[in-house]
Amino acid sequence: MTRIPVLERDATPLERVIARALPERSKRAPGVALGAIADACVVGLLALSMWLIVRAGEQPPILHLTFAIVGVRALAGGRAAFRYAERLASHRAALTQLSELRVHAYERLVPRIPGAIEDRRRGEVLGAFVDDVDQLQDLPLRVRQPIVTSGIVIVLSLIAMAIVSPLAALVLALALAGSGVLAVRWSSRIAAESDRELGAARAALLDALLERFRAAETLAAFGALGRQRERISAAESELSRVQLRRARAAGLSAAVLGAAAGIASIAILLLLAPVTGQGLSAPLFAAAVVVPAAVFEVFALVPTAFVARRTAMASAERVAELIETPLPAEIPVDAVVEDRSDRAPDPSAPLLEVRGLSAAHPGASAAAFSGVSFALRPGETLVVSGQSGAGKSTLAAALVRFLEYSGSYLLRGREARALPQTEVRALVGLCEQTPHLFDADLRQNLRFAKPDASDQELLAVLDRVRLGDWVRERGGLDAQVGERGSLVSGGQAQRIALARAILAEFPVVILDEPTAGVDREVADALLADLLGALPDDRAAILITHTELPVGVRANRIVL
Amino acid sequence: MKPLDPRLLRTARAARSVLAIGAVLGVVRTLAVVAWCWFLAQAITAVALPALGIPGGAASAAGGRVAENASSASELPMLLLAAGLALAVRTGAGLAMDRLAARGAVLAKAQLRAAALDALDARSPLATDGRPEAERAVSLARGLDALDGYFSGYLPQLILAASATPILVLTVLLADPLSGITVLVVFPVIPIFMILIGLATQRVQDRQWAQLNRLSRSFLDAVEGLPTLKIFRRESRQSERIARETREYRSRTMQVLRVTFLSGFVLDLAGTFSIALVAVTVGTRLVGGGFPLGLGLFVLLLLPETFAPIRQVGAAYHASAEGLAAVGAVFELIDGPVEQARDRRSAPERRSDPEPVGRVGSAPGSRGIRFDDVVVRRGDRAVVGPVRFEVAPGEVVALAGPSGAGKTSLVATLLGFLEPSTGSAVHSGAIAWSGQRPDLLQGTVAENLALGADRIDAERAERVLERVGLGDLDARTPLGAGGSGLSGGQAQRVAVARALYRADEVGAHALVLDEPSSALDAHNESVLAEALRAEADAGRAVLVISHRPALLASADRVVRIGETA
Repeated sequence: MTRIPVLERDATPLERVIARALPERSKRAPGVALGAIADACVVGLLALSMWLIVRAGEQPPILHLTFAIVGVRALAGGRAAFRYAERLASHRAALTQLSELRVHAYERLVPRIPGAIEDRRRGEVLGAFVDDVDQLQDLPLRVRQPIVTSGIVIVLSLIAMAIVSPLAALVLALALAGSGVLAVRWSSRIAAESDRELGAARAALLDALLERFRAAETLAAFGALGRQRERISAAESELSRVQLRRARAAGLSAAVLGAAAGIASIAILLLLAPVTGQGLSAPLFAAAVVVPAAVFEVFALVPTAFVARRTAMASAERVAELIETPLPAEIPVDAVVEDRSDRAPDPSAPLLEVRGLSAAHPGASAAAFSGVSFALRPGETLVVSGQSGAGKSTLAAALVRFLEYSGSYLLRGREARALPQTEVRALVGLCEQTPHLFDADLRQNLRFAKPDASDQELLAVLDRVRLGDWVRERGGLDAQVGERGSLVSGGQAQRIALARAILAEFPVVILDEPTAGVDREVADALLADLLGALPDDRAAILITHTELPVGVRANRIVL
Repeated sequence: MKPLDPRLLRTARAARSVLAIGAVLGVVRTLAVVAWCWFLAQAITAVALPALGIPGGAASAAGGRVAENASSASELPMLLLAAGLALAVRTGAGLAMDRLAARGAVLAKAQLRAAALDALDARSPLATDGRPEAERAVSLARGLDALDGYFSGYLPQLILAASATPILVLTVLLADPLSGITVLVVFPVIPIFMILIGLATQRVQDRQWAQLNRLSRSFLDAVEGLPTLKIFRRESRQSERIARETREYRSRTMQVLRVTFLSGFVLDLAGTFSIALVAVTVGTRLVGGGFPLGLGLFVLLLLPETFAPIRQVGAAYHASAEGLAAVGAVFELIDGPVEQARDRRSAPERRSDPEPVGRVGSAPGSRGIRFDDVVVRRGDRAVVGPVRFEVAPGEVVALAGPSGAGKTSLVATLLGFLEPSTGSAVHSGAIAWSGQRPDLLQGTVAENLALGADRIDAERAERVLERVGLGDLDARTPLGAGGSGLSGGQAQRVAVARALYRADEVGAHALVLDEPSSALDAHNESVLAEALRAEADAGRAVLVISHRPALLASADRVVRIGETA
């Protein structure tokens, strides 16, 4: 990505995002050119047909009108054709850019996820992020394109107008500038004020409705549905108030533009009437009077573009905030290690050993846990328990190097910080508390843990996590799991994730509440099987708040 | 796609007034547009004719009919004044229409929301369509905002197209029959092409829709799955996949757009081409002296306005589709789940099923709770039962059984949320209940405790908090959305305290708690057991669902259901 080397170094995060969102000049040019021609046809058609009619009123030989007649027809056809071509060209350019934008955004995101965003906000933040990245397409399509093309056409119209009459050009310029400033500033001021209000009002209404649905049984049992309705109504009227104010601003700016076009026509008519017939021909006079209507039709795109700009810029700012700011110190970066001599594993050292380990989330004032020490040898199981919020999941994140740690963390005697992150993750695996299932079939969701696994192998693992019968009922490994695993229950998703972790055959596997959504009886059997049958060369760390099933031997630490 | 959903008009009465008043404003605006074009054309003619060397006013032989009915230059101020007035009316009517549309959108959304909530409030809280709560909430919140585009973009243009277009076409026809006929010939072409293009778009979209959806989601899938990808060291292979799928998304989207944009092309072409046609025919007739200049200018100025509404309707087509889809989602909520309708007593669909003989109710005579051979069915499957037991006043009874045995469903029959298909669930007087989830609401702890009561009794609030071992929790503590701000165990105890408050408030004869100690440690669990005992001692029948040994041990009796021998 050497396209804009200067920007890469010196630009602000926001500028970098914007530069990334805009297609290259050469890819933008066709759209802009076609759009300008299409808009010019609008102005040209009205002016030329006006000229034609008044000129015809002079009753010249029809041959003198041939040029105008052909021109009118060409402009009429041209407008529609160029507009169509422009829309295709500009959409193609924006969509082409989207692919580069997404890849870039993804690559910048890789080191930051999951460490840089709190667990409980992550889904929401990433959902918004993806929307924001896609929203950046509006920057070339709905912001740049209309502003640039209507700018070109307006300047050309003003020049043409100035050739006919500088005075008329001045009037038109004043009308455009005056109404434009009014419309843009008007709508953006009111809208900017109410942007935050709108967000807050929308969130309040959604919260009230969510409560209504989430607590439906409680509200019904306590006869409090009516009270919740009052809450919803209150949130609704606040939202309505904000929305009405915004609509008023939009309506006013449209009205200002419409009125300004008419006033410009009247003013030009008044100004040019005395000189018509003396230095200014009647056909040109008529054309000059009606041109403002067409110019304003083109100009009307500009305030809309400014509104779109505000939304797109807000998206760009959020994207910049997430991917273009410097990495926080809490996020690990692969160290550049020149000396590789001390990187040979020491087979006599424990599989995994931590001493005085602590870790913190970015932006947190205090460490999530600190002073943790333990050693894990092959065949051993360690149970980590503690109250919620004690940092159990943070410990897991630090051990798989999602978060930087302080203290000592040795894998077969080698400091984990000195190893590439991928090497650490080859040794230490994690079965997440809220696993992600990809929108694909079951086979794909399992196989990326072990690409060469056969169907028999996959089914055997599913049997082990007590999902074998369920899978066969659902039509085998081709069963879809749905978007974010929406077609499977929480407990099933957890067991699929567990199957994935088994398949990957990590030397050390961390199981973070692997059975939280699973029936107690099934959970106990599952854990007894998994931990009881741990191969001699592997070890497990189990994060849980429930009692261990009978028969499982384990060391225990409490955070 | 229907241009107007009749059900929308019935449910959202605001939409009707938008249509009615909007039509009046549309006519006013259209008349103002006609006047504006007329006076501007007259003014231009009054200036142009002398410059062309043709005297205005009375018909002169010089130019044939060119100067027919033309105003003289001295009338210019009056003409411009009239044009200015017309402009003012046009602007005012336009503004009024915008505001009407905005107000209509806001009102219609409120009315649709109210209709949906009325329907939901009247239904059992368990009668859901299986969609996640968040999705249903969003369809009533942000989902309905799609109606903004429908009301402010689509509906006014539709009204204008319906009310203004006939007036404008008629005016053109009267002013110049030849131009009018041109317009009349061009006009029907538009809908025909639109329909053809619409069908083509539909076909393309039908073929591509699922694919497009999947491709547009794949980026989100990769981003959300990033932690998982990193754990399995697959993160670096995704860039290529994202690039590839986005490219594929582009080429498929472009295929759809190529057809979609055709409708804009046809609208543009119809509008501009009829202008060109009219300009040329009027021009040639003027050269022959057979047509008045003023009338020609008028027709030419009027033509773009004639096509404007129908072009805007076409442009706002998307807004319409999105708005109607949002309305459709709300009507689904209003109609409710199809399956659940069968569970309701009066539902006619029941006929094929055996007549329900189940009964729920309060029997004032006998105090306590009684289940008489209760069976709950969902579809053809028996969820629970037959179950028979009773809880006498002064007694603590624990209900146990493996998950899925139907303990919660059994309690739901007691609350009237579910109908037993046979047998009866009876309780006397009021019942105080706390469910599996705390379901705390935004507001203070005290407000949560006094849920459903008219006012907050601070003393009672403190007392019930004390009894669940939360004596040091300030009842004025504010809770966020969903009751955030408390730990899981605290929230659960506040929920229990809320049931105790209610029992006190309404003098309940029965207290029913569903898994009240699942998030509690041993100490707090024993505090809870004491509180339950105290409730029983106060003469209430206490039923507690639990699988925790300590709680089961503290009960007078344990009823086990769903256990295979």
